[in-house]
Amino acid sequence: MPSTALITGSSRGLGLALAERLLADGWTVHGFARGPQTLAHARFRAHVVDVADEAAVRTAIAAIAAEGRIDLLVNNAGTASLNSVLLTPGEVAATLMRVNYLGAFHCLQAAGKAMVRQRSGLILNLTTVAVPLRLDGEAAYVASKAAVEALTQVAAAELAPQGVRVLAAGFGPVDTALTRAVPRGKLAEINERIGRPQGTTIPQAVDFLVALIGDASVPSGSIRYLASL
Amino acid sequence: MLTREQALALVLRRLALLGKELGKPALEQADEQTRLFGEAAALDSIGLVTLIADLEEDIRVATGKTVFLADEKAMSRLTSPFRRTGLLAEYVVEIVGR
Ligand SMILES: NC(=O)c1ccc[n+]([C@@H]2O[C@H](COP(=O)([O-])OP(=O)(O)OC[C@H]3O[C@@H](n4cnc5c(N)ncnc54)[C@H](OP(=O)(O)O)[C@@H]3O)[C@@H](O)[C@H]2O)c1
Repeated sequence: MPSTALITGSSRGLGLALAERLLADGWTVHGFARGPQTLAHARFRAHVVDVADEAAVRTAIAAIAAEGRIDLLVNNAGTASLNSVLLTPGEVAATLMRVNYLGAFHCLQAAGKAMVRQRSGLILNLTTVAVPLRLDGEAAYVASKAAVEALTQVAAAELAPQGVRVLAAGFGPVDTALTRAVPRGKLAEINERIGRPQGTTIPQAVDFLVALIGDASVPSGSIRYLASL
Repeated sequence: MLTREQALALVLRRLALLGKELGKPALEQADEQTRLFGEAAALDSIGLVTLIADLEEDIRVATGKTVFLADEKAMSRLTSPFRRTGLLAEYVVEIVGR
């Protein structure tokens, strides 16, 4: 049976690569981003949605659900900021929370309802190894992703009776717009700490996500990292 | 637009279907006094969530309108519209008419 996915942050980086892979695998894909999206495919639909805007998220997801199923939600839209905790402006911390945590929350809530109606579905939230590493210099980002991990586990427990699974997946640094401002030395140090001295490429990260999506035996509520921690 | 009777019929039909699915025959006998949550309620919390999710879709099919039943206004009311089926039906009429 053909499956339908919703990927947030599908205009570039990991979200775009995952959208391309799922389309190649036969999925229908809806993608959210605030800006224009270049991906052109008969089974791809781009939506201009800021995930931090609850009303916009609800309206867009209700419209998608009215057309058919939502089998998979990937909460991928995210933003990062590197700074010492004492020097991080409150507004930056608030933005990270709004986009990374609340954005995932709004999408999980709206798509989760559609999935409860279907009595099935998978929600995959993106996190980062920076959470278990308690990475210094990324307090606000790490806190927002720790909130995403907690949301994953509680939502998994709440939605399990209706056949909806919730997982989180994270990796170390991947070369995207998100990490371009991070000093090379710092990236190398993180890669050493997670046992991946060669780093992680976008295709490797996408393979990891696709494997998780396809593995129904992964218990709901699991948080998996592409790393040796 | 929906009348109170039509809204109540949607709620009761959905409860009966849920009753079959969850193996709770009492839900098939629900009337407008049936308690939906709180003490001695007919549904547990996931049951209530399922009812709301299913009902929003029923309302869309019946009226063509996309509604969100569990909004902040509903949650902050002194008398929750989710307390009894009759109150929920009245709330459905109100929200569809907005
Ligand atoms: N790259 C890494 O090293 C790494 C490692 C671990 C985890 N992750 C996680 O992986 C995810 C994707 O990261 P990435 O590296 O691919 O980042 P990226 O290249 O910067 O892409 C981010 C995507 O999110 C969208 N986006 C940002 N804010 C949004 C908002 N408010 N509403 C809707 N869309 C929004 C962007 O599109 P618009 O700007 O057009 O909205 C873009 O499509 C993030 O959650 C990140 O935390 C990344």
